Amino acid sequence: MTGPAPGADRDAADELARRVAERVAAHPAVVRLDGGIFGAVATYLPGHRLVGVRVDEHGGPVEVAVVLSLAAPIPEVVAQLRARVAAVAGGRPVDVTVSDVVTGPAGPDVTVEIGP
Amino acid sequence: MSSTTGSTTGGVPAAATPSTSAAAGTAGSPGRLAEETAQGRTTIAASVVQKIAGIAAREISGVHSMGGGLSRTFGALRERIPGGGTGASNIAGVQVEVGEKQAAIDLDIVVEYGASIVDLARAVRRNVITAVERMTGLEVIEVNIAVNDIHLPDEDGPEAPPVPATPAPSRVE
Repeated sequence: MTGPAPGADRDAADELARRVAERVAAHPAVVRLDGGIFGAVATYLPGHRLVGVRVDEHGGPVEVAVVLSLAAPIPEVVAQLRARVAAVAGGRPVDVTVSDVVTGPAGPDVTVEIGP
Repeated sequence: MSSTTGSTTGGVPAAATPSTSAAAGTAGSPGRLAEETAQGRTTIAASVVQKIAGIAAREISGVHSMGGGLSRTFGALRERIPGGGTGASNIAGVQVEVGEKQAAIDLDIVVEYGASIVDLARAVRRNVITAVERMTGLEVIEVNIAVNDIHLPDEDGPEAPPVPATPAPSRVE
């Protein structure tokens, strides 16, 4: 997955990160995207930081970190998230981190900043 | 105040317990489900296991609260550390060790007076194992329960007896 220009690779990776974030956040069990255990799962975009998704431009695994609601067993939700992400990520492995859980339903604090 | 310290150990026989040196620890350290390596890794944070175990233990009636003096202090401390995780009320009195596929859980509980501690510990252990295994897919190899204290119903309950209307007569004049 190494293209001719590194800038083009980065642009493609950023675009993939945005699409992955949209698909993950749309899952009903996902309360929000999260920076992972050390806050390192993030993509640096012009103007803002997309927390919870990290895509490198060299074809490595797509990293996703989420906070889930405790409505459903975690392995099931993770498998569904992995399938959602894999649908746009090509053949890349998808690393999923569940960094926290929230009791109760995914309430009104379901906010994902997917900026311009 | 450890008025009653009944440490009942090991509901599930820890058969062939592997060295949990890898990726072990308490809040903040990652636990991994080592399956599906071709499709990617799944990491479940130790605080997730802590929270689920704490909620499951509290569901059993007869558990008054969780945590001894020390672990309550650490829970309050942990809330102030960035990334230490919020919601320390759920994880007070719960220590976990999360490995690749297994988890070990230590609980500090305060029981209600009148509950059979042995029966209560058995119910807590069963509920915690069921909840953690179902919700995380990790195998729970042991749940150690330490009963730190016993709570008497008139200690601080809402139905505390009102202050007597007639103040005790002064003994000195």
